[in-house]
Amino acid sequence: MAKFSGGLCYYYFEVGFFLDLAEKKNDDYWYLLQTRVFEEKLKGAFELLRGEGIEPILIKGWAAGLFYPEEKKRRYTDIDLCVEPESFERALNLVRSERGSRLGIDLHRGLRNLDVLPWEDLFGNSRVLKMGDGAIRVLRPEDHLRVLAVHWLVDGGENRERLWDIFYLVKNRPEGFDWDRCLNSAGEKRRLWVLCTIEVARKHLGLEVGDLPFAERMPQIPGWMERTLKKEWRSGVPLIPLRYCRGDLPLLFKQIRKRIPPNPIQATVDLEGDFDEKRRFFYQLRNFFRRLIVAGR
Amino acid sequence: MKSSETPVARKNGLVVQEVADEVLVYDLDTNKAHCLNETAAMVWRNCDGTRTVSDISKVVEGKLGGKVNEDLIWLALDQLGEKDLLEEKRELSFSGRSRREVIRKIGLATAVAIPLVASLTTPTSVLAAASCACTAGNPAPCAATTCPSTTNCNLAGQCAP
Repeated sequence: MAKFSGGLCYYYFEVGFFLDLAEKKNDDYWYLLQTRVFEEKLKGAFELLRGEGIEPILIKGWAAGLFYPEEKKRRYTDIDLCVEPESFERALNLVRSERGSRLGIDLHRGLRNLDVLPWEDLFGNSRVLKMGDGAIRVLRPEDHLRVLAVHWLVDGGENRERLWDIFYLVKNRPEGFDWDRCLNSAGEKRRLWVLCTIEVARKHLGLEVGDLPFAERMPQIPGWMERTLKKEWRSGVPLIPLRYCRGDLPLLFKQIRKRIPPNPIQATVDLEGDFDEKRRFFYQLRNFFRRLIVAGR
Repeated sequence: MKSSETPVARKNGLVVQEVADEVLVYDLDTNKAHCLNETAAMVWRNCDGTRTVSDISKVVEGKLGGKVNEDLIWLALDQLGEKDLLEEKRELSFSGRSRREVIRKIGLATAVAIPLVASLTTPTSVLAAASCACTAGNPAPCAATTCPSTTNCNLAGQCAP
């Protein structure tokens, strides 16, 4: 009897505990821990660069997750840090160091093509947030919305999930959100790009735009853009740099096939084009040759 | 390890998160995640390099309110050592008995939950969505059709932080 009850104890405590963990609890704990690990790495990334006198700005990821509701936490992958263009090489050496390479940092020279405002302006308007015992610098929400929208378009709108970044930033924007700063500080083309992205979030995710100051003047999503989004979301194949496909012929073929013809949204944004109803053929053609030249180099 | 020895919990390279009565630990060196139940967590927290096994058993007894056999502490230390959560991993002796026998004995002698350290596994939904091929060592660029990150693999070879 004692042997039996002892065995039962063993089963209940050990096997039962594992079975318990194997279900929802395991997943919840895993995500919780991954978030904590990510936050530790994020703090570590800022400490690493600050140690050399470089102050980065975090974009996307955790910074976008700030606007998500508690019940729909955003998951993070890498740490996108932007640094002043003049400090880029120094920062890159740090990121490639043994310590830096463990942090999963995706380093950007300024905001690259994601924005046109000078670094000084973006940095001067950025803010520092407390995260535990660390401090994280992020763009001001107005700038971040513009950058997130452009980034989503640079990716050709292929990532439907990331459209939620736009959705929640608009929905949960802070009081006094300066729409003029967001839309009008980076030129007319980008203004329309951002508005189009908000309209996509309205149409496809149900974003409420009635309270926005420009609600009556929301642009129409161009037909070519709608068709591109449908195609991208149906295909589910994300764009991967071709250099990562070496040694995997089917993947390489899939990626080449994905690039021909070039994604019209990506091609337009790449060439700083207008989001009008005109055909995208010339944008795609120019984009194709431009990429070919870059690849050739 | 003898009863007079003072075990030390590992601190470096770990991310620790408390959840209700349990403690979650992520090992940054091995990218493994563990869940310590209340008893194991209490033993681990008290491995401060000054308390002996006997001291720890008294602390646990005081906090959990049941008779605590030293075997229970040994069992916890055995598992903590196995998961690399102690500074020094040493061979533990259950006096020739198997772990199962020790558990049986503890289970009959105490009302305190048996200490357990379980490993967390990557959710299947994540594996399905992040079946990336980290091609050039870790961390390295990810190359996959459904990879959530196009830039980095973590040390476990997954497209994740």
